[in-house]
Amino acid sequence: MVPILRDLLESIVEGGLAKGASFCEVRYFEERSSGIGVENGVAKVLSSGILRGIGVRVIVDGRWGFASTNVVTKESAEKALTDAIGCARSITAYSGEEARIIEVEPSVDSIKHEVKINPEDIDPEGKVKRVLELEKAARGFSDRVKDVFVNYRDVLTKVAVCNSLGTFVEEIAPRILISCRVIAKEGDNMQEGYERIGNVAGYELIENISAEDFSLKAAKRAVDLLGAHPPPRGMYTVVVDPKVGGLFVHEAIGHNSEGDLVFSGGSIISDKMGQKIASDLVTIIDDPTRDSYGRFTYDHEGVRARPHTIIRNGVLVGFLHSLESAAKLGGKPEGSARAQSHHYPPIVRMSNTYLAPGDMSLEEILEDVDVGVYLSGSQYGYVESEKGQFTCKVEEAWLIRGGEFTERLRDVAVSGLTLEALKNITAVGRDLKVEMPGMCGKSGQSMFVDAGAPHFRIDGIVVGGRR
Amino acid sequence: MSGVDIFTPVEKAARLLSKLDVDFYDVFASFSRTLSISILGRGIREAYSRVDVGIGVRVFKNKGMGVAFSQSLEDTDVEATVKKAVGFARAAQPDPYFKGIPGPSKAPEVSGLCDSAIVHLTLEEAGGFSKEMIDAAERVRGGATFFGGFGASHARGYLVASTGVAVEVEKTLASAYIQPIYREGGDVGSSYEFDYAVSLSEIDPHWIGRQAAEKAIAQFGSRRIESGFLPLILLPEASASLFSSLLSALSGEAAAKGRTFASNTLGKQIGPEDLEVLDDGTIPGAIASSTYDGEGVPKKPLRVVEKGRVLSFLHNSYSAGIMNVKSTGHAIRGGYSGNVGAGPSNIRVKPGDSALDEIISETKRGILVQNASFSPNMVSGEFSTTIDEGFLVEDGVKKHPVKNLMAGGHILDLFKNIEMISKEGRTFGKGHFFPAVKIKDVKLSGK
Repeated sequence: MVPILRDLLESIVEGGLAKGASFCEVRYFEERSSGIGVENGVAKVLSSGILRGIGVRVIVDGRWGFASTNVVTKESAEKALTDAIGCARSITAYSGEEARIIEVEPSVDSIKHEVKINPEDIDPEGKVKRVLELEKAARGFSDRVKDVFVNYRDVLTKVAVCNSLGTFVEEIAPRILISCRVIAKEGDNMQEGYERIGNVAGYELIENISAEDFSLKAAKRAVDLLGAHPPPRGMYTVVVDPKVGGLFVHEAIGHNSEGDLVFSGGSIISDKMGQKIASDLVTIIDDPTRDSYGRFTYDHEGVRARPHTIIRNGVLVGFLHSLESAAKLGGKPEGSARAQSHHYPPIVRMSNTYLAPGDMSLEEILEDVDVGVYLSGSQYGYVESEKGQFTCKVEEAWLIRGGEFTERLRDVAVSGLTLEALKNITAVGRDLKVEMPGMCGKSGQSMFVDAGAPHFRIDGIVVGGRR
Repeated sequence: MSGVDIFTPVEKAARLLSKLDVDFYDVFASFSRTLSISILGRGIREAYSRVDVGIGVRVFKNKGMGVAFSQSLEDTDVEATVKKAVGFARAAQPDPYFKGIPGPSKAPEVSGLCDSAIVHLTLEEAGGFSKEMIDAAERVRGGATFFGGFGASHARGYLVASTGVAVEVEKTLASAYIQPIYREGGDVGSSYEFDYAVSLSEIDPHWIGRQAAEKAIAQFGSRRIESGFLPLILLPEASASLFSSLLSALSGEAAAKGRTFASNTLGKQIGPEDLEVLDDGTIPGAIASSTYDGEGVPKKPLRVVEKGRVLSFLHNSYSAGIMNVKSTGHAIRGGYSGNVGAGPSNIRVKPGDSALDEIISETKRGILVQNASFSPNMVSGEFSTTIDEGFLVEDGVKKHPVKNLMAGGHILDLFKNIEMISKEGRTFGKGHFFPAVKIKDVKLSGK
């Protein structure tokens, strides 16, 4: 961090206290990104962008105020402080949710996630060549492959947090994400395959990718889905792979454990702390220190990130906390508050969320299933957390009969009720994988996260189908 | 901050680009100011103020495209952004479908797109809007916790292209949303209501709060129902996703390159004779209106579906080039980040001749769908979706809310099976209009 910038952030915090704020936080955010879009063998577009600015958050008279600007000057930052204080004062006349935070020990630290190969050291032509290699493998897979798209993006994010608790932390994190989308066609039937790989890493991640684990996989799935059948409909026992399991963990329980949803009455588990809410086989952890896409060292309130257990052996033992939710719910903040950029205040977010492994093999999980559905690959999901109703859309599936995979299925989505589904987990595998790098949306903000699970089995899940 | 100069940086970038060996370029800068109030838990939680500026440059060389953007309008950053975009355009490969970018056209101004009440809105007034939504919900029934908010923004933009296009845009937007959550023992009653508009006077916070509370209370006592084939009656909030998905699938590059479920529907019958869909980006004061599209092409009304038959795609210049037709003025520019896609503007579905009450009363057994997304897989058109909020209808009477119920099928089958279109509907943002539709024999997965 340039010392002059640190001086600026500290002077704004001091100014905030002098103007009557009981808490003041100033966050500098910078994101440099570059991307390549390849379509059917042509690197059509190369792009880059720089986001940069300051966000100021205050508590004045028990209310939150927040203001942000893209202009990183003393004058502009002072204006943002004045606006943030004005924001808080503007709502003091209205009743509502009181703003308060837990006081934590201040942190002073500087973190830089090192990489082997800095993406900025690779020239655009070199990156294009590598992305084209990966794309070509998918295009050559079958004459039924109609279109292949590979998108590459590297992002270097710098965040500095300075607050009136005495915290000053800065963190520089590189991230890389590459995705491959394949459309296969046979007559009027068109199907898609999708793969993505990402992590907190340098360009070495791209150099080490093999087409077999990436673009060829997407192509194979798209082509295989051409011969798949629509799923049966009704309630089934389902066996989920690590990606669908990750999506389930994220949607069904992860969001419900976010402290801000809990204290505001938006979570189905808000009154269940210490209670048995899942089967004994279920332990769910959110770990920002794990080497996955959602990794960071300090959150955007400057709190050191630590692994936190949400459910241990079926019992709800923890929520994810911001300084505010910890104060309101009596918990301990362990680094779960993050913001998309300087234009947004930090809110409670998951990081790398997963179901802890059990001791079964996939064969053992399947062998008791008379009729069921195996779900593989996640597309998207969402949850109505207040009702505890979740939906997960998966990429492909198989009908299970007598413990064996039979028909391949496509366009499968499942829906369930969180509290029922958690209790109906009847088998958990030992093959944990956290390989679902992506962005999670909440309250208009998008954030880097990852999720995973071993294979596991849930009874009584509604499978949406066409027959 | 409303005095931020976006014209000088755009002209500087254009001047620099005009001296370089490139084939085409466009430069777009924007400034926006947003005020918002968030509602959480017992009421108003937080107030925000945000000022956002940025500049984006698209450069084309030998049919390859380079894009760069910056949130700083300082001279050195504008120069760096131009340099980066030019370097990228030279490193990109020729896109055989690229035929150029549009030239200048003159169009009559679409009026009523900037509301001075929003331009001069104070945070206190924004807080008052939010409070009114909460109070209206509380008057229906007290004791809820809430999610929601109110936001208002004022944005200005300036687009200049190497072809001579020079377009200024200015627009305001207000939006309000509230979700009350009531609890009774182990049961939850929750729903939401929202509205958005160009003008503040179009938003009625009292109506939004009251509607949200009444809808939330109606969700108590939800039950699972059996799997089966039943008709769905989609209320306008749910039919909106059906029609929006169709128009998105008829838009731009993906449609023109045969990559959506609607790519091969051009000229074909997809629904009943009384199904008509118009896209009109020229409605004064409407949410998706503008004088020009994101590439400076004048907006015009476009008949998309008539007598149940698809008449046209929605093109930007790129997709129009693929099909050797003219752009229909549907380019959508995603702010200053430089991305230009294509999509619908105000979608207007022609009302039918059945009253919604009659549609319900004539239904022996079916599901009245209040909230659900019928957005399918855009490539295959297949969908499988949860009915987020719906009611079982039996013998013409709304019985009870349903839960854990999914609908599945192909979106084109939904259009084909439209049986009735209501004469009432909902206008969103003074532009979109969606009626209720009844669709026969939809496959449902329940208990």
